[in-house]
Amino acid sequence: MEATVQNLILGFSTAFAPGNIFYALIGCLIGTMVGVLPGVGPLAGISMLLPTTFGLDATSAIILLAGIYYGAMYGGSTTSILMRIPGEAASVITCIDGYAMSQKGRAGPALAIAAIGSYIAGTLSVVGLMFLAPPLAKFALGFGPPEYFSLLLCGLIVLSYMTGGSIVKNFTMIVLGLLFGMVGIDQMSGYFRFSYGLVALGDGIGIVPVAVGLFGISEILATAGQSKKREVIKPHLRDLLPSRQELKDSLKPIGRGTLLGFLIGIIPGSAHIISTFVSYAMERKLSKHPERFGKGAIEGVAGPESANNAASTGALVPMLALGVPTGPIPAVLLAALMVHGINPGPLFIKEQPVVFWGLIASMYVGNMVLLLLNLPMVGLFVNFLRVPYRILYPTILMFCIVGVYAVNSSVVDVGIMSVMGVIGYLLRKCDFEIAPIVLGVVLAPIIEFSFRQALAMSNGAYLIFIQRPISAVFLGVALVMIFLGIKPLIWKKKDWRERLSEAEKST
Amino acid sequence: MTIDRLSGAVLVLLGLFVVWERRVLPLGNHSQPGPGYFPLLLAILLIILGTLLVLRGGLSSSFRSLSWSEAPHAIAILGCSVFATLFMERIGYRISFLIIMGFLFGVMERLRLWQALTLTLGFSFGTFYLFDTLLRVPLPRGGWGF
Repeated sequence: MEATVQNLILGFSTAFAPGNIFYALIGCLIGTMVGVLPGVGPLAGISMLLPTTFGLDATSAIILLAGIYYGAMYGGSTTSILMRIPGEAASVITCIDGYAMSQKGRAGPALAIAAIGSYIAGTLSVVGLMFLAPPLAKFALGFGPPEYFSLLLCGLIVLSYMTGGSIVKNFTMIVLGLLFGMVGIDQMSGYFRFSYGLVALGDGIGIVPVAVGLFGISEILATAGQSKKREVIKPHLRDLLPSRQELKDSLKPIGRGTLLGFLIGIIPGSAHIISTFVSYAMERKLSKHPERFGKGAIEGVAGPESANNAASTGALVPMLALGVPTGPIPAVLLAALMVHGINPGPLFIKEQPVVFWGLIASMYVGNMVLLLLNLPMVGLFVNFLRVPYRILYPTILMFCIVGVYAVNSSVVDVGIMSVMGVIGYLLRKCDFEIAPIVLGVVLAPIIEFSFRQALAMSNGAYLIFIQRPISAVFLGVALVMIFLGIKPLIWKKKDWRERLSEAEKST
Repeated sequence: MTIDRLSGAVLVLLGLFVVWERRVLPLGNHSQPGPGYFPLLLAILLIILGTLLVLRGGLSSSFRSLSWSEAPHAIAILGCSVFATLFMERIGYRISFLIIMGFLFGVMERLRLWQALTLTLGFSFGTFYLFDTLLRVPLPRGGWGF
């Protein structure tokens, strides 16, 4: 405990450096804009802006990028409540009761509760991150190649189960991502694989062109040409105060959403999206008046908005403690750390205390900044929606190209981004989830390396993966997930995943 | 042909392609897996999953039911992206984006001339100044140093 307090003091001294406060503020501002604008999700936003951090030290860079991440979670709720347009996927569920409240003239309190809930959830889950990540990293120091392989395999299978939609399609996307990750020089033998004489492919396919192509370019390919005009509602500051009853009704949903979101956030998958659906379902079930849900129940805003913010912090636990990202956004944050010469993993917290504790402290500061920023400036942020899409999409394209080019000063990366854009566009059309591809690309080198090392250790005996207890536990969990995933295919019953994707489509 | 069956068939073909391309990489053995070992495992997995999609995909929507109304815009955007890949380093960032943004704002979106000109010039030179000059992220200058 004493060590934690001392580390936190170190973190705050880092976070309160004027430069870092400035980057947290800028990150939160950009993140809120990214969250408000439909078509620019946090993943594309972070990837596009990664090059802007090259001139910064690692601590400032990760503070800025993390600010964009949780800022986008805040910003996404604004358009959901005011216009029934989810700025990003985690805000889909907020559209239901948030927009219903707007129609009743209660947009202000809905926005205020979303911001307060996000603040409380964000702050409390940072406490969870602070206490959970260091012991988890200590535990992981005992992992050898078999444990790492089983952990990553388990993570990928859990991700394909938790992502929703068809589990066969999700598995396919993971395998596709892993195959993309095979391109480049083999770490163990030095062989060039699938590089077709292109020297630039020697380092493999980078995470940034893949993420920007799949999430940025494919989005504008799919949506350009739309000419819908949006009616922009601007709430006034004086209308923002929630009533005493609304505050009372929101308190428990915020608490439950925080706990639920943080725990779901640690599990691989689209945690920040799933947590909102689970929180909404739970609040409706626990409510004495479930009939109010869908007609403007404040609990339907408070719970999910707290859950998605807590989940985004929870997702950082395995990334920082184990070096294992649980979703595409932590994967890009991981890549960002690596660009700055830091290798996340069990030794990260011990070797880079300034970066880790600086990030933790900056998240406390950032959450406060967002609360103070979002409510008074909501009218300003909403103005971004007035920008017509025909002006917005060329701008997004330009930032995608600059962002991807600047990482390695390579036009080959821009070409990879274009190819990934087309692949993402076609896969979306065919109802495939694209997030597992990004994770597959990031994890491919680590998973292959651990697999081959484990086999070398055991002289080719696959039994090593079940003879070591921790590895066996991970494989056991993976098997349970596979069973749960194929159960509805055998019994031909709808499971929660199918109901979730149906709900997402109908919203 | 349904969407799932078509996509499953494409994935099977991709898996077969990887199996074929892998033949130049040594497989090694179980105790010392070579650089071709893991890609082969993945390709086999992809073929199995693709086959499953083909077999179970009879009930999904028909491929013909997909709407392609955004295709003209998508092709134009993709063309711009390919143009940047091929020419950005040869003719420089600013000229490349004068052409790309001019095309998208002026030709595709038919903005008024002054709007298209202002946005094209502003974005091309503005982002160059922001990234290259202020943030010191080097952007290509092309043969004429522009």
